[in-house]
Amino acid sequence: MNQSFNITRVFLFIKRDLLLLRGTITSSLAVAAILIFLFSIFNMIWDKQLTSEEFVGIFTLVFIPMGLLFSFALFREFSSPKTNHLYLALPVSTSERLLSKWITATLLYIVTISIIALAVGFIALLVGGILFGANLDPLALFSSSYWSIVGVYLFIQPIFMVGAMTFAKNRLVKTLLALGLLTLGFIVFHLILFGLLNGGFDVMPKNGMASVSFIGADFSTVGRWFYGLLFGPFMLVVAYFKMKEKEV
Amino acid sequence: MLHIRDLYFNYPNQVSVLKSIDLNLDTGNIYGLFGKNGEGKTTLIKVITGLLYPKSGECRFDNIPTSQRYPSVLQEVFLVPEDFELPAVSVNTFATMNSKFYPNFSQEHFDSLLKEFNINPLKTIPTLSFGQKKKVLIAFGIAVNTSLLLMDEPTNGLDIPSKSQFRKVMAASVDKGQCIVISTHQVRDLHSLINHVIILDDARVVLNQSLQRISEVLWFGRASGQDKNEIVHSEGAFGGKTIVKRGEKDESEMDLELLFNGVLQERQTINQLLEHA
Amino acid sequence: MDFDNSKPIYLQIVEFFYENILIKDWQEGGRIPSVREVAMMVEVNPNTAIRAFNYLQDLEVIYNKRGIGYFVAEDGYSKVLEIKRKEFLEQSLPDVFKKMDLLNISFTELKNAYNEQKNEKK
Repeated sequence: MNQSFNITRVFLFIKRDLLLLRGTITSSLAVAAILIFLFSIFNMIWDKQLTSEEFVGIFTLVFIPMGLLFSFALFREFSSPKTNHLYLALPVSTSERLLSKWITATLLYIVTISIIALAVGFIALLVGGILFGANLDPLALFSSSYWSIVGVYLFIQPIFMVGAMTFAKNRLVKTLLALGLLTLGFIVFHLILFGLLNGGFDVMPKNGMASVSFIGADFSTVGRWFYGLLFGPFMLVVAYFKMKEKEV
Repeated sequence: MLHIRDLYFNYPNQVSVLKSIDLNLDTGNIYGLFGKNGEGKTTLIKVITGLLYPKSGECRFDNIPTSQRYPSVLQEVFLVPEDFELPAVSVNTFATMNSKFYPNFSQEHFDSLLKEFNINPLKTIPTLSFGQKKKVLIAFGIAVNTSLLLMDEPTNGLDIPSKSQFRKVMAASVDKGQCIVISTHQVRDLHSLINHVIILDDARVVLNQSLQRISEVLWFGRASGQDKNEIVHSEGAFGGKTIVKRGEKDESEMDLELLFNGVLQERQTINQLLEHA
Repeated sequence: MDFDNSKPIYLQIVEFFYENILIKDWQEGGRIPSVREVAMMVEVNPNTAIRAFNYLQDLEVIYNKRGIGYFVAEDGYSKVLEIKRKEFLEQSLPDVFKKMDLLNISFTELKNAYNEQKNEKK
């Protein structure tokens, strides 16, 4: 048996996290369900229907922030100087720790909240149908944009994991700030790059704001892959070393 | 079992808290780690557990650096920290969720220790007092049965009856195959428990001796007139307590507090005596 | 000035054994608590308790049945009695005599005090 990787320990560790956070998990899932329900109902008041795009919009509104808060909750024990002695001294290797956190924060979370969202959405449709005669179309709950939202989540979640481990206080605010600065940095970088490469051809829009949206829209497939790979897996590697190098 | 070689440690942008530490810890012993506040006891314990990384030198458990935090090493090391927070679950749940990672954990032993400490395992941890929480962690630390058990100021926060319970539990729990390190500045609480003393001062190990060796060489008590030349350290004027060379005298009960003060003042004399006499 | 001879812990445990044997709480040939139990009772390191057990074993006051435990020797009581008598005669009495001299207490005075206490008990 490999001494630093044991899949049973990963499962035990996931179970331990779920047990530890069961209060947080149940109350946040309840809040998520209520929010999705209310948003769906409000949405139906206007146009008597709930299209799949609208529903995914509502789902995103709850899914992403909740997931990020959950990622932070998962690292509470790691960050607090009063609990991390016990946590870091548990006989679990760094790769096992990271894998179990990642599985909990992504796979388990996505599956659970998706099921809840579908169930709540369906109930909201039923209620909407009865109250204001909205169109009852359960198929509207499924859409391809759901998958792109899941993709976006998988891509930003590791960044939040790193943030949760890097900052000691006001972890959420600092991570968002860092993320904002990073995005700004990339936009400026693109602007410069674009200006350098295309400057002579006079294709730059003259209006400053327009250039930003122009560059945003001009994200090539290559670029998307580049950043997707850079942020997702790269941040996971960063998270691994953050975990490994953590001292109390 | 645990070997520390020429270890240095400092916190970022600060002077060294541990300098040139050499130590060997072996099974079958209860080590008392003494030192004034802020002399690096807690830091040393954290380095041993692998929670802090040496700046230079090494700290190995069965020849594996503890800073690697390999599960195989962590399974054999448990730390009861001085200050800690336990999760908001019942005592039993706390044990089940953590004990699975320690192959030698004994539920039976844990239950009997809780009983000894008068703690109801069904209670949720936040309803317990700090002393009771500490006892839960001590009971858990003993029940996981690791070959190295480290306790940082375990009697801090315990009331007088609990301190006695603690000594009873420790006396009964020590196994031949176990090594226990207790760090404290409350020398009196634990002196009957330990059989080896390590004193840290000024970031260094200034004494590292078995109590047996110490009582072979030194005699503790009130010295008579003819002992004058043999006095190593004395406290108070008339009839004060002294440490003298034992010579032909009967063995005396060791006064750890006196030894501690003696070592801080007469470090070289005492060490020379212990090494050569 | 005299020595304040505070005894090492293991000898204090030995005293505790002597007392139990002399008051016959521990019968000759009877089983006595284990090392671990004694260590727990007096809250000491088991190594210290072992030292007391070894000391008494050397004096043949107790003996070890392998795998079963420790027992008081068949002549354990008389052995302890002999040890304690010797200790009293050789160590405690000279101290008393020294004090009597110092405080000028005559032997008759001592005798009367002794008889008085004996009568009180009766």
